[in-house]
Amino acid sequence: MKKMEREEFGAHSRRTFLKSLGTVAATAATAQVQSVAAEFEKANAEKTVGPGAVPVTLTVNGEKLSLMLEPRVTLLDALRNYSSLTGAKEGCDRAACGACTVLMDDLPIYSCQKLAIEAQGREITTIEGLAKNGKLSPVQQAFWDRDALQCGYCTPGFIMSVTALLKFNPRPTADEIKHACAGNLCRCGTHPHIIQAALQASGAKVTSKTEVINA
Amino acid sequence: MPSWPEQTKYISKSTLRIDAPPKVTGKARYSSDIQADGRLYGMILRSKWPAATISAINLEKALQVPGIKAAITAKDLPQTVRFYGEEIAAVCGTTKQACLDALRAIEVTAQPRPFVVLEDDAKKDDAPQVWDGKSNVSSSPRGSGEQGTVDQAFPECAAVIEGFYTTPVQLHNPMETHGNTVSWTDEGLTAWASTQAISASRDGFAGPLKLDHSQVRVITDFMGGGFGSKLNGSVEGVLAARLSREAKAPVRLMLTRFDEALAVGNRPSSFQKIKIGALADGTLHAFELDNYGTPGISGGDVDLPQPYIYKVPNSRVKQTHVAVNAGASRAFRAPPHPPASYAMESAMDDLAAKLGMDPLEFRLKNDSNEVRQREYKIGAEKIGWKEKYQKPGSSPSVVKTGLGCAGAAWGGGGASRNTQGEAQINPDGSIEFRLGVQDIGTGTKTVIAVVAAEMLGLKPEQITVKVGDTNFPPGPGSGGSTTCASISPTVFDICANALQQLQTQSGIADARGDNWFAACKKLGVTPLLVHGRWQQGDPGRPLSSSPAYGVQFAEVAVDTETGLVTVKKIVAVHDCGLIIDTLTLEGQINGGIIMGMGYALYEERVMDDLSGVVLNPNFETYKLSGIGDVPEIEITLLNMPERGVIGIGEPATIATAGAIANAVANAIGARVFSLPITPAKVLAALGKVPPFVKS
Amino acid sequence: MKAFEYTTALSTDSACELVAGHGAYLAGGNDLLGLLKEYLVPGPDILVNIKSLPGLNKIERGAKSWTIGALVTVGEIERDAEIGKVFPGLRDAAMEIASPQIRNVATVGGNLAQHSRCWYFRHRDTVCLKKNGDLCYARNSENRYHSLFTGNDCISPVVSSLATTFAALDATAVVLRDGKETRMSMAELYQKAWKEVTAHNSLNPGDLILKVEIPTARGRSAYLQVSDKHAFDWALVSCAAAAEAAGGKLKSPRVALGSISPVPHQVEAANQFLDGKTLDDATASKAADMILAGATPLEDNGYKVPLAHALIRRTLLKLKGET
Repeated sequence: MKKMEREEFGAHSRRTFLKSLGTVAATAATAQVQSVAAEFEKANAEKTVGPGAVPVTLTVNGEKLSLMLEPRVTLLDALRNYSSLTGAKEGCDRAACGACTVLMDDLPIYSCQKLAIEAQGREITTIEGLAKNGKLSPVQQAFWDRDALQCGYCTPGFIMSVTALLKFNPRPTADEIKHACAGNLCRCGTHPHIIQAALQASGAKVTSKTEVINA
Repeated sequence: MPSWPEQTKYISKSTLRIDAPPKVTGKARYSSDIQADGRLYGMILRSKWPAATISAINLEKALQVPGIKAAITAKDLPQTVRFYGEEIAAVCGTTKQACLDALRAIEVTAQPRPFVVLEDDAKKDDAPQVWDGKSNVSSSPRGSGEQGTVDQAFPECAAVIEGFYTTPVQLHNPMETHGNTVSWTDEGLTAWASTQAISASRDGFAGPLKLDHSQVRVITDFMGGGFGSKLNGSVEGVLAARLSREAKAPVRLMLTRFDEALAVGNRPSSFQKIKIGALADGTLHAFELDNYGTPGISGGDVDLPQPYIYKVPNSRVKQTHVAVNAGASRAFRAPPHPPASYAMESAMDDLAAKLGMDPLEFRLKNDSNEVRQREYKIGAEKIGWKEKYQKPGSSPSVVKTGLGCAGAAWGGGGASRNTQGEAQINPDGSIEFRLGVQDIGTGTKTVIAVVAAEMLGLKPEQITVKVGDTNFPPGPGSGGSTTCASISPTVFDICANALQQLQTQSGIADARGDNWFAACKKLGVTPLLVHGRWQQGDPGRPLSSSPAYGVQFAEVAVDTETGLVTVKKIVAVHDCGLIIDTLTLEGQINGGIIMGMGYALYEERVMDDLSGVVLNPNFETYKLSGIGDVPEIEITLLNMPERGVIGIGEPATIATAGAIANAVANAIGARVFSLPITPAKVLAALGKVPPFVKS
Repeated sequence: MKAFEYTTALSTDSACELVAGHGAYLAGGNDLLGLLKEYLVPGPDILVNIKSLPGLNKIERGAKSWTIGALVTVGEIERDAEIGKVFPGLRDAAMEIASPQIRNVATVGGNLAQHSRCWYFRHRDTVCLKKNGDLCYARNSENRYHSLFTGNDCISPVVSSLATTFAALDATAVVLRDGKETRMSMAELYQKAWKEVTAHNSLNPGDLILKVEIPTARGRSAYLQVSDKHAFDWALVSCAAAAEAAGGKLKSPRVALGSISPVPHQVEAANQFLDGKTLDDATASKAADMILAGATPLEDNGYKVPLAHALIRRTLLKLKGET
């Protein structure tokens, strides 16, 4: 069997992030991701599965989900309809709106355009996985504080994109926030408050220019 | 007589949205999230013909797909289909994959009929008829009219302009599609509906399914936007209910994004030929409009209230509706003001240019509304009109900057007078409000908490709010910008009644604030259930009223070599009577502006006249304003407590397209008459596009 | 989507075998899953995951030439600091592709191989020429996004902005075809789409893009595009230019346009005209005239001519370092 190279994308980004924590930690964590994904591939390589349902194990918010899924089931579908993680939303099912955004090894992806079977061996983070022990993450808190939501349907997707951004770029400019959130749509018009929330979560001071004149 | 307090702790201040935590944590369950045990998924088969007679539908093979539990036809046969996307059949099954396979296994026998999808084609005498035996062209008497002596008035004008201003069909496209999770058993029907109107939704089940209202319960705890498209009962809801009945299980049936472009409403198009003239001193003198537009196969909101907010002594308005084989229109945020404002305000600027007048001065001269007069002056200062305004096209350099403005009026925003509600006050001092209204993202729940906190001397965090259940006291659908004006006086009344009863029962003279818990403790073991309803209050200082106004200014940069329009800044000055919560109010105004910007620059439903299909039933080519497009938005709010609460959702979106269109025209010195203002159209207006020669 | 089998290939040989006749390669999946969800392509019976193929996800940085593996993601290109220095045009193209979520999974190979974005091709209920139907709807109806140049009855343009940029950089795609490595310039990679109505590019069924080799000789490169929106919107027109800088003059310049032809549009005469010239407005404008000569606008896409003209001038001036 040829020597295989493990999928680089997720590990590459994680490596970049972890660089800031120090070389030793980075190497250790990378090696861990490397070995999990490699194990998976070894076990599954060149075995043909489907079209009927097959066992698929997903690691979501640190926990294992053991599901029986057809290969054509998307990660979004798996989360929403084969488990009760309905935080990621279906807005279009065509990789165009971002309501389904989750993190795969710290990188935001559209879960509607990723087969669940291909998310095995990766660390999936959904909106449900951000708050720790009932405490909102800084991004979640900032969204609340700056009212960066209205109907809330696009909100989990945006929060995932902003969360991912701040991991790689802890002090982004407004333009960088816009660039990072370009793949998320909102119909209610929360964008200005989202930019404020991302800035606030990054520790920047944010002021509103809204003026109330008492007539 | 009841009126809002003069000094307030929470009202007119900034209160955080109370339902943010479930939304930011993913705990909020929308219609498609409801965890109904044993649920099935439902899907709809839609017509691929824009016009056809369906003579047979064979569901046998669909029923044989593993996992499928029921399959039904939408209507009796033969079925006359009149638009691409009309509902034909529906299935439900244990997985979405099974449903997809089942839809493809349904065999439909159809005889295609002639169809027409473009307005100009449908107007022709020999156009295929959308409705047998009826002309595609009709008009309503109220849409047309005349006053003064228009034909004599035009020659009297010092300046006259003519323009053909057009707007496209716009799609609501809320982020959450339409749909329900429905459970219909012998015990009754429960629908977790994505709706703006639980009562109308209930009607929409009870009627077609021949159920008593008391057997139908609609629940909407969270919903992902509607903008007017979710104010009625739904075809998809009834199909889900029928499937549920047959399959003996709850059915979750949500529309796809594709479906949203076809069958759940839209804003009609407009083709407005405007002629408008003014006297030498700039007074508007004559106005003529010939407008047509399509509401699809049927629908309203084609007739436009022209000449919008301006008084013209001599005017003639003629409006016609043109039916085409496309989905019917539905109310869409401030119908039908946005196209009216866009065209009228564009014509105003074009006339001002002809007169050589500053367009802001021209408006101040012709718009006598006191509120808008104030708002224009405030807005002009904030955008820097005096310093920055230049004559059309005189901005130097390749990227030209321009300014524009427009005004609005929304006569809705009044209240639904039948609104009721209740509060349960427990001996431990906890209080829960229950109102049969919806929070469509506007912050309804928060408004209730703010008003209650204010009137009871508590904190908003201490108020539990439940909405969106037909078991609760009835309230209005969330449309017309009426919700806030309906619930605020209702909650005021509930609180007044609550205090009165608490005070009587407890013997404590003033049960508010610090005395609240002591007063509640005296209830013993029995909670107090208090009812209340909307009331007007003191007519001189009412609890709610209407209308609201508002003006917006736009600053744009137009790249005259690429045609790209960038909105740099919007200044919005709005009034909505008594402000309840500035934070959620800001959200509504931002939202209205961003939606108006989409209308001005990006959005357009495109029909293909060869096949009759909607060409852009997706977010890839039906383009919504993105975060990269959103400008700096500066909002000024005029708080007018003496007018009581008025709605804002719709006024916020009316003036935006006109302001942006005017800013573009000001920048480049040429008018793009048709929305959306794309780079292609800008380049054409600048004369840079070679004329097309058919080979 | 229809049901399919799924497997992961560990060698290019087995990938080709597994796909042969009835399967599809699955890399990032953006284009493929989009096609499958709308049932736009026949089958496939099996999806073959190629993301574990050894060596294809590497960026090899040589003195004379870089090799970017077909499985390198667009996001990795965007984030690679060195690419930004050596091939700035490539970085600029990458960062405007789609959205971050798409860039994080989209691969170089997938971006090059992607199918037409014509809205008639992509619509489930219009059977156009490219889908073996009888009619090019776009020619007779809505063609605002379509080609200014075409060699056949289909007017769907190539939209891969990586292809446009690789064309300017004179990059070569290395394609595995019938077990042998075949080298194709960008022109060759899309030539079949110029000639044949049903083709999206020159790849045959079973062909697998392995890598793209980019000579470093052209140290200056630039990319610009304009869309209706400011982000996450297909380019109306895109332009890439690359050249060796030599004392203020352009040496071996190449200019390519995307979204206006089934192939990345280059005019050799224009490249030659620019060679050795000091770049200024007049030169750039003349080059633009030459590049756009012979354009045949349709009813709705005439605006692409002045738009492309402006982009060519600006991209060239960006090469010079003026913008």
